[in-house]
Amino acid sequence: MSLEPAAALDPGLDGELLCYCTRLTFGELRAACAAKGWPPPGKERTGRLCTGCQGDLQHCLRLLGVRAPA
Amino acid sequence: MSSELDALLSATFHEAGYAHMIELVHQKDAPARRRLAALRVDAYDAGGRRLAVVELDPAQDILDLDALVGDAARAHGRLLVVFDARYDARIFPYRPHHYAYLQRRDAATAPLYYALNATLGGVPDRIGAVALNNFETYLFLDRPLTERYALALGNLSRFATAEAQVITYYDGARHTEDVRLPPKAHAEIALAAARDGARLRRVELKALFRLTSYVVGRRPQGGELVLFDHLFTYFK
Repeated sequence: MSLEPAAALDPGLDGELLCYCTRLTFGELRAACAAKGWPPPGKERTGRLCTGCQGDLQHCLRLLGVRAPA
Repeated sequence: MSSELDALLSATFHEAGYAHMIELVHQKDAPARRRLAALRVDAYDAGGRRLAVVELDPAQDILDLDALVGDAARAHGRLLVVFDARYDARIFPYRPHHYAYLQRRDAATAPLYYALNATLGGVPDRIGAVALNNFETYLFLDRPLTERYALALGNLSRFATAEAQVITYYDGARHTEDVRLPPKAHAEIALAAARDGARLRRVELKALFRLTSYVVGRRPQGGELVLFDHLFTYFK
């Protein structure tokens, strides 16, 4: 996987789903990272179920300054 | 769309010249009359450029895909068509299924029926499944292959470029092809029917995250689809 460069995570995405399996939105991810509370309760398996959002999750975690899990 | 509802992002491919009907909710019964809460359809060209966005009436039973995006397919070639469905988990305890009918308009062969690839949200957290589903495989018939086979792949990511491996096996000999797909891009990766005299037996798809994937078979003359099917999740 490779990631396209991006300056910041667009706040306009906040209401949209990142993970369709755990129903995590981009806004919830942003808030959790800002509070140093990633992953929030109930969202621990984000990216690990259907796996389809794993690439975007790693991309967003990097943008938000969180080291992505191996 | 509400994030309070459960969500499923399914996808298929559509090309010009085909009747392509999508049964939006396969699981129906008269008492429940199950239906989606919301449905949006997006279509993308091979490079990932969005060509259509349509909010649909979720009470609709059957969607005529060619009527919806056929003009775009005739102008831009094969499309990746994405179905963003929202549903109430009390109505669909697992998740809704979309099924499809596919037949070339001048076909001399029987139509194809298949289940749409449930690419994102296919494993709702509440059901507790743990098996990986981003490694997939498909076994070919044990007879000489007269069709042209390929993997149709699409990347539903918003940001991440997918780097996948398509691994084919020819009586034990292994051949690997690397595939790179930017967000929403898609491609049909040809699978040689034979290499060095050995017949194609199996194909595997490996990627960090789940892609939209179908095995397709076409008539050697004219390219009519005679197979359009999902792969199987790879357990080992």
